[in-house]
Amino acid sequence: MEQAIIALAAALAISVTAFATAMAQRAIGSAGVGALAEKPELVGSIIILVAIPETLVILGFAVAAIILLGG
Amino acid sequence: MILEMARIQIWGMKPVLERVIPVLHNFGGMQIDDAHDVQDVMVQPLTITEEMQSQHEEVDLLIANINGLVDLFSRFKKPGGEIETTSSDDFITIKSRVEELTAQIQYLNNRRKTLQDELISLSKYSEMLKVIAPVMPDSSKKSSNATLRALVHESQMRAMNLLSQQLKLLTHGKFEMISVKVGDATMAVIGIFPFEMMSQVETFMKNENVAQLMLPEEYSYLSTDEALAHLEKKIEINHQELDEIDNRFKRMADNWFSRLHTWQLVCRDRVDEFDAYTRIGETEYTFTIFGWVPVENLESLENVLKSNFGKKVTLNIIDIPDPLKERIPVAMRNPDSLAPFEDLVKMRAVPKYTDIDPSLLVAIFMPLFFGMMVGDVGYGVLMFLITILLLRKPKKGLLGDFLRALRVGAVWTVVFGVLYGEYFGNLGESLGIHPLWFSRSESSSITSLILMSMAVGASHILLGLLIGAWNAIVHRSRHEAWEKIGMFTGLVGIIFVAVSLVTKLPGGFSIFGWIVLAVGLITLALSMGKIGFFLGPIEFIGVIGNILSYLRIAALGLASVFLAKVANDMAGMVGSVIIGVVIAIIIHALNLVIGMLSPTIQSLRLQYVEFFRKFYEGGQSAFKPFCKRVTPQIITSISKS
Repeated sequence: MEQAIIALAAALAISVTAFATAMAQRAIGSAGVGALAEKPELVGSIIILVAIPETLVILGFAVAAIILLGG
Repeated sequence: MILEMARIQIWGMKPVLERVIPVLHNFGGMQIDDAHDVQDVMVQPLTITEEMQSQHEEVDLLIANINGLVDLFSRFKKPGGEIETTSSDDFITIKSRVEELTAQIQYLNNRRKTLQDELISLSKYSEMLKVIAPVMPDSSKKSSNATLRALVHESQMRAMNLLSQQLKLLTHGKFEMISVKVGDATMAVIGIFPFEMMSQVETFMKNENVAQLMLPEEYSYLSTDEALAHLEKKIEINHQELDEIDNRFKRMADNWFSRLHTWQLVCRDRVDEFDAYTRIGETEYTFTIFGWVPVENLESLENVLKSNFGKKVTLNIIDIPDPLKERIPVAMRNPDSLAPFEDLVKMRAVPKYTDIDPSLLVAIFMPLFFGMMVGDVGYGVLMFLITILLLRKPKKGLLGDFLRALRVGAVWTVVFGVLYGEYFGNLGESLGIHPLWFSRSESSSITSLILMSMAVGASHILLGLLIGAWNAIVHRSRHEAWEKIGMFTGLVGIIFVAVSLVTKLPGGFSIFGWIVLAVGLITLALSMGKIGFFLGPIEFIGVIGNILSYLRIAALGLASVFLAKVANDMAGMVGSVIIGVVIAIIIHALNLVIGMLSPTIQSLRLQYVEFFRKFYEGGQSAFKPFCKRVTPQIITSISKS
């Protein structure tokens, strides 16, 4: 039972943060495409802005790893 | 490497100005600034003469004509390929050739339109005659008989029958009428009568307002069958002529397309020269040009001006005023191998004049992180082969930079693949190949992977802080230097504390670590002024967050290796070898595509966000030299011996 809860906790840590990242990137990506249509030279900044929210899922991965390794 | 720039002022007598601009344009190593923006200078903007303005308009018109020709020829020839950047054609030659081409194109276009209009009407007649011809009686084929054809609405057939009776009376019973349906509600009415009664019948039809189907004059006296044969022959001739016109356009496109592109550039060079005049200042007898030139090119510019103008034009190196120091244009020069990484740096922002050029650092670390993330010998070899294949034809822009960076990343991917023992995932392991370091697919190795990522992150951030501190010391920015040193020290302290906790080092290391951390935090806080004791710790936590961001190296690596494992496991689960191989290829191909895109963006993001923030500001404008797009080719006559 304990193992199941640990697994569920790790899964939640990754999945919730992944969902949050996806929601953030959805908004940034669509705004970025609109900005790129007017100013193609912004491609570098747009790529970085889209990649920034991935820190959320990385931290979720870190928490999941800590939960699994600790268990 | 960021080149050292010199601010220069060129003075000269006005009569030589018209020669100075082309000489500077050919030199191509100087950026011309707008004299209107220069403070404390007693010059007024150069007066543009009417002759210059009309020449400018002439060039604009020529560019519009060339653009039109390019648009037309692009229908017959795929754009692309190298544009020739040398040309022996001067402006007058280009103008006359474009006029000739335009005249030829106009003639061909007009002829094509005429043929197309003719085809429309001929096709209409031909369709009608094809319907009528089978029902024509034998009497219509007699040369002594004439034929009239009319198209009427089927509601008018009763009136036509009455007309027919009247015509029979007029022609003493020799008029014969046939009708046939040719459309939804359209009837073709054919009347056959003796030839000598043509004018009477036509007058009668005209008086009764019956619209006849009038064939072109050359066919009007022919029988229906003869007219149809001639029409079809004419349609075929018209189609052949249209094909010939298209072939002529294709030949013209083949001969002129690339030259037209080169001429576009020649004309734009000319427009640049006109624009340069608007940035020059003048006094009553002299002109002055302000600009920037890399210090290494100063001597050659001086020599060029001296050899062309002697003492009539002088070059002075002037001090850079303080307000202008933030706007010095930045020229970078790096070896060809660093060119894609230089472009990636510029994609983020052109470095400031006082920044360090991070192109070499990006060239080292970006492919290294890429290799750490993907870490598979099979994928690395495939990526290398793909980039070699695609780069056989030169590629410019973002795609070219991406492929060249990927080529270097593929090498590191193979290196880390050997260290992790990954050959298309765990396929190597099943063939008995063991990792030289640790296997990422084993659960016991996850801690090692996470620690490796954090260690790489900490080292990278420490390097960035060192560079930032050194840069601040060189440019005598004391507060910034102490901020970087404080952060560096604090980070070293926390690493000592963390390492001593994890590896159970003697207690002295932990105490040392805490002391170093405290010293670092205090230094950081003091460097930030009054609010430093609040801001300092917050900034420091931000740096810890930056290090944690490097966990993406572990995360992406695990995602890649487990997807490869899934591919191999699924291939094994299926009964058939062939289907198993197909499934494995599909999933490995997907993993390869993801492996090329996602680690590139993530390793680039680590450079831009976590690394660059420690020492790089960027945001300056790039050096834009006044240079030609097309080099004039000097043709020398070859003397016959």
